[in-house]
Amino acid sequence: MSTVRRRLVPYFLLGPGTIWLVVFFVVPLYYMFKLSLETGLVGSLEFSWHWANYSDALSLYHSQLIRSFVYAGIATLVSLLLAYPLAYAIAFKAGRWRNLMLFAVVAPFFTTYLIRTIAWETILGDQSPVTEFMNAIGLAPGGKVLATGFAVIAGLTYNFLPFMILPIYASLERVDVRLIEAAKDLYASATQSFLRVTLPLSAPGIVAGVLLTFIPAAGDYVNAQFLGGVGNRMIGNVIQSLYLSQSNYPSAAALSFVLMALIMIAVVIYIRFAGSEALMGEEAQ
Amino acid sequence: MRSTDSKGRGPLALVATLVATAALALGLAACGGGGGGIEGGGSTAASTVELEAKPSGSVTISNWPLYIDKSTVPDFEQATGVKVKYVEDINSNEEYFNKLQPILAKGESGGRSIFVLADYMVTKMHELGYLQELDKSALPNVERNLAASLKHPPFDPNRSYTVPWQSGMTGIIVNKELAPEIHSICQLFESKYKGKIDMLNEVRETVPLVMKCEGVDPANATEADWMKAIDKIKGAAESGQIRRFTGNDYASDLTSGNVDAVIGWSGDAVQLQIENPDIEWRMPTEGCMLWSEDMVIPVGAPNPTAAEAFMNYVYEPKNQAQIAEYVNYVTPVEGVKQVLEKKEPKLAENDLIFPSASFTKNCSNTPTLKGTEEQNVIQAFDAVLNG
Repeated sequence: MSTVRRRLVPYFLLGPGTIWLVVFFVVPLYYMFKLSLETGLVGSLEFSWHWANYSDALSLYHSQLIRSFVYAGIATLVSLLLAYPLAYAIAFKAGRWRNLMLFAVVAPFFTTYLIRTIAWETILGDQSPVTEFMNAIGLAPGGKVLATGFAVIAGLTYNFLPFMILPIYASLERVDVRLIEAAKDLYASATQSFLRVTLPLSAPGIVAGVLLTFIPAAGDYVNAQFLGGVGNRMIGNVIQSLYLSQSNYPSAAALSFVLMALIMIAVVIYIRFAGSEALMGEEAQ
Repeated sequence: MRSTDSKGRGPLALVATLVATAALALGLAACGGGGGGIEGGGSTAASTVELEAKPSGSVTISNWPLYIDKSTVPDFEQATGVKVKYVEDINSNEEYFNKLQPILAKGESGGRSIFVLADYMVTKMHELGYLQELDKSALPNVERNLAASLKHPPFDPNRSYTVPWQSGMTGIIVNKELAPEIHSICQLFESKYKGKIDMLNEVRETVPLVMKCEGVDPANATEADWMKAIDKIKGAAESGQIRRFTGNDYASDLTSGNVDAVIGWSGDAVQLQIENPDIEWRMPTEGCMLWSEDMVIPVGAPNPTAAEAFMNYVYEPKNQAQIAEYVNYVTPVEGVKQVLEKKEPKLAENDLIFPSASFTKNCSNTPTLKGTEEQNVIQAFDAVLNG
């Protein structure tokens, strides 16, 4: 009796999460998929295995897809370059300031995403000190920063930076300092011990941070909406306008699946490249 | 060792789980039976609202943000005893339609009894059978006070299912400090304003205004005329002439000096000028676009009696004056000017709130697009927006 019960425990534990996932993710996904193969105008849509929705979506919107991946890629890279030193400093150098600094990383979340992004409209406005400064050093072609791709990438970087910092911090914080000491005892230079000991041990954090930043950034539309101008719209904006302004539900659904597939492919390649041990963390060592 | 082990098992287990959940979902969906599709209206012949003797109970009204003053709703509640749930959940005609369409198709209204939407959108909803005909016996104020120019619009010749909420004009708003000499839509394409122009992301307003610059009357425009105007806008977008396509967030670009001029709405111009005297409405020399938004009662709306009581209430000139004073758009109710002449003489004189026939002589009504023409035009315009 008790062994049966013990065997059932994992299923009970998984139950609520699985039901949640099925009801709110898998079922809607199924309807979206069905919608993506329909044809006609709103009011008379018909299911017809219309795979051309996919090829049309790709051929019409490939430039916005590429742009989204480029913007998200640059934002992820910049986030990583900013986040790693910061996470390192918080984990190893912050001492008693550690909690305060962690709080500072999370503090922006107390304001909504939308408000924070709109605040950047003011920060980067044409007559703001930031723009004047960038114009003076020749970094603001046309005298503007707002309504450019640069502003969109800056917004993405700012908004997703904490998702990069926190996992890297979490993995650095778990690094056993004795391993670094051991490296030094074995005559490793500071650079060598960082490259051979600290960096590999923090790899799971980097992998998680890159995924948590890149995936939402690629599908984001808020930053392009408020900080971008003409020619800076991302694929999220296109899906939104297909669905909400053109009433073209099938194309919107098809494009969503295309985006999902491309992100999955990118992630799979990335994990292959970065190694699944890094993602699985210590368990896989 | 464990590393290779987990590498081998991980993805397989993942795939197995995915397949299992997908199969389960398909099973569930099959049990649920279709339902995801989009069908036309519950009834093709629109039904007429059924009224009770006296308004009572509660009613939910959906409107755009900042489109009513603070006291009209409480005053109405006091006068009639009806409890009003007033929600400002409309931000765009298309968005609202597309969000509600699946439930409207089932003959339900999502608990709402009044929507306020643009002429072209209510036309479309009416054709899909999503709206009810009004019972005019409960709308004596509307019969009496509706502005003559709005009594017989082409889309609803006898106002059988719509009651105008507010009207307005789409034209040019400038920052006169930066661009004092802009007076026409054509000037917005001059290279000296490069990167300093915002245009509305509304296809039915921006594109016809550009047509007017090209000398085409939007009322008689062919699909080719639409496409030609869209091409002109596209050229300006790609050359960097147009900075952004906006909704009413052009206000922040205007006030912070990011742009010299925008295509914008008359009511916004009145309000922005109060805050910043440099902001000014310019009636385009080519003329403006005129539009109205209408109150409608959707199919399946609870308590239509109270909904009609509200429509009737806001058509009492002294009640409407309160709204007009706050929203600064063009009021559809006769007699409001006389009320405001005593209360707020400055507003009563304002051409943007009470436009004279000569002020709007070159203006055009928002054109109606239909079927595949609508789809092609919107697709072409959205391609410019999404550049």
